[in-house]
Amino acid sequence: MKAEGMFSDIPVDVGVVYEGERVRKEQMHAEFGGPHVADKYEILEVRPPGEVKDGEITVIGPDIPGIPEGSSLPFGTEITVSGEGLEPDMAAVMERRIHDFSNWIEGYMHLNQRDAIWLRVDKRSVKKGLTFKHIGTVLARLLKSAIPLIGAVEVTFITDPAEVSRRIGRARIVFEERDARTRGMTDEDVGVFFGCTLCQSFAPSHVCVITPQRYANCGAISWIDGQAASRVDPKGPIFEIGKGECIDAGTGEYTGVNAVVKEKSLGNVERVQLYSAFGYPHTSCGCFECTTFFVPECDGLGIVHRDYKGATPAGLSFGAIADSTAGGRQVDGFHGLSFEYMRSPRFLAASGGWRRIVWLPSDLKERMKGIIPPELFDAIATEKDVETVGGLVEFLRAHRHPVVERMKAPEPVAAVENPGTEAPRHPAGSQNTLTIPGGSVSLTLKNVKIHAERMIIRKKPE
Amino acid sequence: MKLKVTIDELITDRLRAKGVEFNIGRVIEAWEEDPGPTPMPGIATLRSWDRALLTKYHPFYLPFCDLCCLCTMGKCDLSGGKRGACGIGMAAQQSRIVLLAATMGAATHAGHLRHLLGDLVDRFGRDQTLDLGSSVLLEAPHARLVTGIKPKTLGDLEEIAAYCEEEITQLLSCCHTGQEGDPLDLESKVLHAGMIDHVALEGSDLAQISAYSFPKGDAEAPLVECGPGCLAPGKPVILVIGHNVPPAIAIADEMHERGLDDKIEVCGICCTALDLTRYNARAKIIGALSQQLRFIRSGVADVIVVDEQCIRNDVLQEAMKTGAPLIVTNAKNLQGLPDRTKDDPDGIVRALAEGKEPGAAILDPDKAGEVAVRVAMEIAPIRKATAGLPDRAAILEAAKACTGCFSCMRACPNDREITAAVTAAAEGDLAPLAALYDACIGCDRCGGACPAGLDPHDLIAGAYRSLFPAERYHIRAGRGPIQDTEIRAVGGPIVMGEIPGVVATIGCSNYPGSWNDVGSMAEEFLKRRYIVVTSGCTAISIGMYRNEQGEGLYDLYPGRFDAGGLVNVGSCVSNAHISGAAIKIANIFAKRKLNSNYEEIADYVHHRVGAVGIAWGAMSQKAAAIAAGFWRLGIPVIAGPHGAKYRRMLLGRRDREEDWFVLDARSGERVYAGPVPEHLFTVAETREEAMVLVPKLCMRPNDTVKGRSIKLNHYLDLHRRYFGGMPEDLPLLVRTKSDIPITMKDEVVRFLAAAGWKESDRPIPDPTLLPRIVKRGGKPA
Repeated sequence: MKAEGMFSDIPVDVGVVYEGERVRKEQMHAEFGGPHVADKYEILEVRPPGEVKDGEITVIGPDIPGIPEGSSLPFGTEITVSGEGLEPDMAAVMERRIHDFSNWIEGYMHLNQRDAIWLRVDKRSVKKGLTFKHIGTVLARLLKSAIPLIGAVEVTFITDPAEVSRRIGRARIVFEERDARTRGMTDEDVGVFFGCTLCQSFAPSHVCVITPQRYANCGAISWIDGQAASRVDPKGPIFEIGKGECIDAGTGEYTGVNAVVKEKSLGNVERVQLYSAFGYPHTSCGCFECTTFFVPECDGLGIVHRDYKGATPAGLSFGAIADSTAGGRQVDGFHGLSFEYMRSPRFLAASGGWRRIVWLPSDLKERMKGIIPPELFDAIATEKDVETVGGLVEFLRAHRHPVVERMKAPEPVAAVENPGTEAPRHPAGSQNTLTIPGGSVSLTLKNVKIHAERMIIRKKPE
Repeated sequence: MKLKVTIDELITDRLRAKGVEFNIGRVIEAWEEDPGPTPMPGIATLRSWDRALLTKYHPFYLPFCDLCCLCTMGKCDLSGGKRGACGIGMAAQQSRIVLLAATMGAATHAGHLRHLLGDLVDRFGRDQTLDLGSSVLLEAPHARLVTGIKPKTLGDLEEIAAYCEEEITQLLSCCHTGQEGDPLDLESKVLHAGMIDHVALEGSDLAQISAYSFPKGDAEAPLVECGPGCLAPGKPVILVIGHNVPPAIAIADEMHERGLDDKIEVCGICCTALDLTRYNARAKIIGALSQQLRFIRSGVADVIVVDEQCIRNDVLQEAMKTGAPLIVTNAKNLQGLPDRTKDDPDGIVRALAEGKEPGAAILDPDKAGEVAVRVAMEIAPIRKATAGLPDRAAILEAAKACTGCFSCMRACPNDREITAAVTAAAEGDLAPLAALYDACIGCDRCGGACPAGLDPHDLIAGAYRSLFPAERYHIRAGRGPIQDTEIRAVGGPIVMGEIPGVVATIGCSNYPGSWNDVGSMAEEFLKRRYIVVTSGCTAISIGMYRNEQGEGLYDLYPGRFDAGGLVNVGSCVSNAHISGAAIKIANIFAKRKLNSNYEEIADYVHHRVGAVGIAWGAMSQKAAAIAAGFWRLGIPVIAGPHGAKYRRMLLGRRDREEDWFVLDARSGERVYAGPVPEHLFTVAETREEAMVLVPKLCMRPNDTVKGRSIKLNHYLDLHRRYFGGMPEDLPLLVRTKSDIPITMKDEVVRFLAAAGWKESDRPIPDPTLLPRIVKRGGKPA
């Protein structure tokens, strides 16, 4: 169908309806990037005002009508934007929108990002006259519509193989610089954190605190994302949190964070220690990617992720463990988190970090290879090594896991600066009641009728 | 579990007892949640919640009949404000008929549960554990929520069944002359019937999934074959029809034990077929219930086995025409046949195979299974169908008798162009008749109406017959419940606005245009990355749809509960998993307690879970009860054109601002939340109208800006496509500028400005209708 309104000059339709559309091989006119093409990339960069020619769409190499059917080509997309209040840090966030916006164009399929992109254009859309000039126009308009801070957008497509391979190196350098900056950024480097209450639509008392070293529980929002989102929609659910005073850098407790969490959770939560699993841990919504669970027998923490279907050595599945922490509560040792947070140098730092982790599903352990300190890698058990808590303790002893030292100690105390807030509180619903079956059974008998054929009462002799 | 303790001799220092026996009626294991305020609610316990819904969603009556004929003082004309002899008015009478229908539906499912439990307890024992696999921890959200029971064994379900039976008795009694007369109180009881219905549905599916090891929340449940073309020619064919699966499973077991897996085709129509494929993926589904008559009349089946619900009442006469013996297996549907349950199978087999008796009632599933298999093997080589669908020559000849009187068209519930098609056939062109096949719901009222003695139904099916072999499709076997982890996984995308909602396309197949309607609707929302959930005959109809590229939707879309997933939960009784998923959301994300806590959970679901049901071909009273179960949770339902015959809708009035206030649980303030979702039950005349309604009815007061933006995007896009232009209610649905979809920003801003729209300065509320939910500090105004 023909587009209307904002895109009435585009020969194909534009809308979210096409987001799930796949262009299959038989239906495809041409393919750009993808697994069979070495050179492909897309990049968005912020430039000073004046360096961006608003609305300019350039195609270097042949445009779609000049590309023979069945072609598979190297491809580049370069977008530059400028505008008051835009910062270079926001480029990566805006760059990710290229994926959504491209897919909203009828008959134009987009997968992946950066130098892994894979695009296809449908024969039917080509027949209707779709060109890269049109696609660029759509991308430019959507970027401006979604992000009012953008004042000017310029789009360049490169289909000339030589030109793609000439330019791709520079793009890769930019990607690497961005990654290095994100990886290296610490909580101390920034003046503000971000809060997210998107999940309050389902978990009304949960609020996520996002810092450079702590991704949101869902794994979808980094500090940089938070910054961009709060700039774009200052009244929205992602907002700035002034750090306030640092109460304890080790546990990650700040007066500013405590005040916001108290307000947004309506007083349900008064203190949050960002890097601790005990005492005042960060709360959990329901959609966290992973959760920790406490294993009291070894004073260690296991981690299980949503796609792990089996049981943990504690006998509980992801669902059962997740259930004991969801809903915006603070539960000792049971802590929702994202994969990305596990890559943070401050991952559960106040509770011992990786030195406290005793069990992971094998695929997660593999995924975290290179993140887990090498000396610990073999000492962390998986479902392939142990099935029970007893087996786990034995495994840990045999592999000299650091928690073994703690197990020997008469009173296990967490190795952190602030042990006072570390002692597990074991509230209802945590591991004690879950793992010890029949520990405290009470029986209530109602409407009891005991039928006795005869009852003989005999006086005791004096 | 029952407990009996016998003590031969008990001696303490003060007591001596001999032969002491303790009997404990039932041992209950208390679960981790304390009971909430409403364990096992009675017919008026949740009245205030119902009133809260019904003052927002007003009954809008569509009297199908102005008369009441229920007692001997009548019949009474209730039109024009007149009251009946008992004093009843039109509104109460319409609500009463809705209550009667919903109660019948709930009774049918509760009866189904009781019957199924009887069979399963006999076979597996009362202590058979309920097991939905390790990915489904919240096994029985409805039972927990309504009854406070966390069932662990088949025996535990008996108490749940007893509760349902008690409530249904009370509800039915309310329909008696001189009982409830207030329309809203009657509507409240309709909602009660719906809630009970879902408890019964859930119990039934839990029992059969556990006992028969059906797929347990398996997104990759096998693809099974569907359509009349999937039967291998030359093999004996056993056809099962109905809903209660044990006899059909006994047939499959008997075939297996006798080494006949590859020698007989066992196939089915309606939910028994769906459930049989959950047990045995080699079984085949012929089609939805609209295929019943035409398939029986095709004469393909050698033996027909029926259990209960939605079976044609003339099944015995129809079976006799084709020479296929009929075995009835359920006391609720005996068809006048002799009860041979206790007789020797050899004798029954002989009587049926030799045609001495047209059928038999065998109320023991195993025996019914044995007899069906043996009769099929014996009768198939010798059976001569005495009737069948007419061939081309017979159609051409018969059509000449048509006088063009239009009686058939007048009798057709869908007013199809039958007369013209028969006239064309008389002139040698069968194409118009064949083209009606898809539009025909197989009721055969045309046959009864023809003064010339023609049966247009058979002419239509006969004209289409040559296309049967191409009727081969795939459907994903019913997977049962939604996994807890799937629900967790979609929480993020829903709040981020990546998944615009959940669409449940469910119900019977009473619609012209057959599978194309539900198939195309499902495809539209799958493409738009909604989660599409289905069950029952609609799940079959979706399977029989092919898109423009000739592809089937089950082949194309995964079975995951996720964006763009096509989730077949199973048969009618599996509908409880759809409503159950909404209940689970409240427990999983917000840790709201389920135990006996209906109001709070319904309040949560109503304000937060963007789900909508489409019951496009709803025909039965069971469908009425299922819909009512969604209504009480505050989930809107859209019915197809015939849904108006349920006699009333529950419509919101977006023009009445006062109807759309909620309490903000954070502050206790009463705040305007907009007309979302606008209706609780409405009827759409066309699929286009339904498709425009879906995104709108997925909106909720607490949508995040991203969520509202994507929902508006789909609403505006579908409205533009099917109605043209911007919808006039748009200013009521856009709260702030951030809600405006970015692909239409310029037009929307212009439209809003022209309509005098003002941006709301209030934050999105934490919405509730229950004052007790308001958090400490906030006081309800």
